Amino acid sequence: MMIRGIVRISIYVAILSAILILLQELLGTDPKALIQTTLLAMTPLALAAAGEALNQRAGMVNIGIEGIFAISAIAGVYMAEVLGNGYLGLLFGGLVGALIGFIMAVVSIYGKADQIIMGMGLNIAAMGITPFLLRAIWGFPGLHLPPKEVLIQRLDIYGFQISIVTIAAIVIAIALHIILHKTYLGLWIKAAGEAPEALDAAGHNVNMIRMITPTIGGFLAGLGGAFMPLDFFGSITKEFTAGRGFIALACVISSNLEPMGSLGFALIFGLADALAPVIAITPGVKESVPYQFILALPYIVTLAVVAIAVKGRKLPRALGIPYSRE
Amino acid sequence: MDDSGGRDRPYISMRGIVKIYPDGTLALRGVDLDIYRGEILGLLGENGAGKTTLMKILSGFLRPTRGLIYIDGKEVRFRDPSDAINRGIYMVHQHFSLVPSFTVLENLCLVHGRGFLTTLKGLDLDIVREKAKKLLSVLGLDVPLDIPVENLPVGVRQRAEILKALFIGANVLILDEPTSLLTPYEAKELFRFIKELAQKGAAVIFITHRIREVIEVTDRVVVLRRGLVAGEMITRSATPEKLSELMVGGEAIVRREIATSERNILAGKPILSVRGLVVLDDLGRPVVKGVDLDLFQGEILGIAGVEGNGQSELVEAITGLRSVLKGSVILNGVDITNKTPSYIYKHGLIHIPSDRDRLALALDMKIYENVLIGLQRNPAYHHNIIPRIINWDTVKKAARELIKRFSITAESLDAKARALSGGNRQRLVIARELSKGAKVVIASNPTRGLDIASTSYVRTILRELRDRGAGVLLVSSDLDEILELSDRIAVIYDGKILGILSREEAKRVDIGLMMGGVQAS
Ligand SMILES: Nc1ncnc2c1ncn2[C@@H]1O[C@H](COP(=O)(O)OP(=O)(O)O)[C@@H](O)[C@H]1O
Ligand SMILES: [Mg+2]
Repeated sequence: MMIRGIVRISIYVAILSAILILLQELLGTDPKALIQTTLLAMTPLALAAAGEALNQRAGMVNIGIEGIFAISAIAGVYMAEVLGNGYLGLLFGGLVGALIGFIMAVVSIYGKADQIIMGMGLNIAAMGITPFLLRAIWGFPGLHLPPKEVLIQRLDIYGFQISIVTIAAIVIAIALHIILHKTYLGLWIKAAGEAPEALDAAGHNVNMIRMITPTIGGFLAGLGGAFMPLDFFGSITKEFTAGRGFIALACVISSNLEPMGSLGFALIFGLADALAPVIAITPGVKESVPYQFILALPYIVTLAVVAIAVKGRKLPRALGIPYSRE
Repeated sequence: MDDSGGRDRPYISMRGIVKIYPDGTLALRGVDLDIYRGEILGLLGENGAGKTTLMKILSGFLRPTRGLIYIDGKEVRFRDPSDAINRGIYMVHQHFSLVPSFTVLENLCLVHGRGFLTTLKGLDLDIVREKAKKLLSVLGLDVPLDIPVENLPVGVRQRAEILKALFIGANVLILDEPTSLLTPYEAKELFRFIKELAQKGAAVIFITHRIREVIEVTDRVVVLRRGLVAGEMITRSATPEKLSELMVGGEAIVRREIATSERNILAGKPILSVRGLVVLDDLGRPVVKGVDLDLFQGEILGIAGVEGNGQSELVEAITGLRSVLKGSVILNGVDITNKTPSYIYKHGLIHIPSDRDRLALALDMKIYENVLIGLQRNPAYHHNIIPRIINWDTVKKAARELIKRFSITAESLDAKARALSGGNRQRLVIARELSKGAKVVIASNPTRGLDIASTSYVRTILRELRDRGAGVLLVSSDLDEILELSDRIAVIYDGKILGILSREEAKRVDIGLMMGGVQAS
């Protein structure tokens, strides 16, 4: 599994490099800048997708990542400013996400609520809450710029800028891969998704597992959400998430619920995200194609990739089905 | 077996157990049960008597609505199966509790590592494999450890379950209808094995509705009827008649009817003829290895054999659900080899599948909608003005008739098929299939899981079909059923027909031996 994952990642990297070389020829863009932006755009997707892949393996579904992104971002920036520390802001964003994930899990397990509807509800609620909080906290409904001091400093490796959170996202995806495929917890998670009654009969607590994974998934989504204003954009706007929560879900399903695969797809979508503005302002393209169309590129790529990748995917048998003994 | 020792005090006592399911079903109405160390306790009762429910309570799966459990005189409360497992109580469920996509080894890991401290520990695959191999050689069992459970035949899955129970060192082993999938030979092995276990001091609770097995293997038997203890006996002093009476209450039912021996099998050509059939399983291994069969009009040809010897693949190949690698299937003169199920059905073959909930019914659709399955292209059910549009009134009328004719107990036509009990589901399937009016019927385990009334009803229908001249291919892992119904009996073992016996020459022992792979002399 590990080796297959590495091979897969290498293939993505190879394809990516080819595209980059091609782009440099065609558009004359600086490949370094493009890679830097790609990795930044990849990070929130990878964090959320790796966590959600783990979560769906346990038979749970959280389609409210978009909502968690928005709420955690505001919470993260707020706490970063209060404490004057961007890292604490990131952590707080993660904790808020974890709390949301946990509450949704409890409501779905013990209240037998439909997880899809709950996730939708969260997304819609977040759409309303974001401008409200922006105005309530910072007095501007449109845009807020956190002070420079609380923004996360990028690492500089021989002139190549990379965020520590990006490195963390890669490490986390690998760690979740190992947990899922090599440890007892992973075995329990997969059993919870495939045959919860068998997990129960073996003397394990199905609902405990099914509360742990949404909490982990929520934490990672929250981290990704807080990362966007505190690192990626350096600002927070009204609709800054721009459907990235849904793109993260596309990573999950395209990867066949594999954390490492999710990372790979996040890379592809990250590239599309980074590329869109570059193409839009390229001379020749700028005049002939409306820029709105180019900016839709990430979403079109998502649609295309999901359409191709989703074929023959085998989802866990008990996905989205609450477990009860009687 | 010495059952005088250690009898003074029960190891486990259940007192006044009442269980009401959330939907209001009163499954147990105050049951007392004692279990002693070193005994094999038979728990006998009809379908729905509450045997499974009672044992799910003892194994921590269900909490009793009322009542107490004592171990060694001390009260215990099981909140989860893990509490029971920690006390050495393990239940092998009738429908198994293995993760289908996991290998047997991974399933064993599921019981090997438990508790918070193992959470992030790497899987101990090597340790588990060693321990499993040791257990297997001690028990003389054969279970492949590295094949996903879903690819194993049902009989092997059961062995994997028992392996799992012993893997955790259970000293109270509950087996829920364990023999339903075994050959007589395998059942004997199981009996020998649980007797050994009991001699070593374990308590074995053996749930069954087969009186013969109770007499053969148990030391003591408790009979449940409608959620109450109907009686308790030391097996030595029990007779089949007495047990049967306790089980069904009052009048004992005569279960065996001798199959009509003199069947005038129409001379001439067989109505279904299978030649040199080779079929692969899901993993691409040949599991049907050259089968020849002839089915004549007016006969029931029984195929006896232990689950997993190729019979399900054989049936799937004949009915068009699985492709044929080599050989041919001729139905009434028409070559139906590798044809689609709808083509085959059009040429007069119907299939009553073993897995009716998956293959024969759409459980979440309404009863009358289920009546239409397979008949949706039949113009009789279409609108008479607009072609190809289904006329639901006609369908409902047909459904109503079938329900009446086959005595199906259903709340309404609009109820989901899921709401029907097992017996009524099977009646619905049979009713629908027979309404297609075919000349060849393939019935796979047609009475599995049904209550006595439905079982005898289904068997009567199969006999009637035969009497009216249809050819019935009966595939069943229940030898009693085969013996009761068949005019000829073919025994399948390891993908081949070991022999075909006529009803007269068929002796239970011989068939049992052949099912275990021993050619009768
Ligand atoms: N999950 C359930 N919900 C509601 N009723 C049930 C459930 N399981 C079993 N029952 C009912 O409880 C009674 C006892 O069932 P069971 O213990 O399975 O009997 P047995 O094992 O003796 O066949 C039956 O009437 C059955 O329909
Ligand atoms: Mg039962």
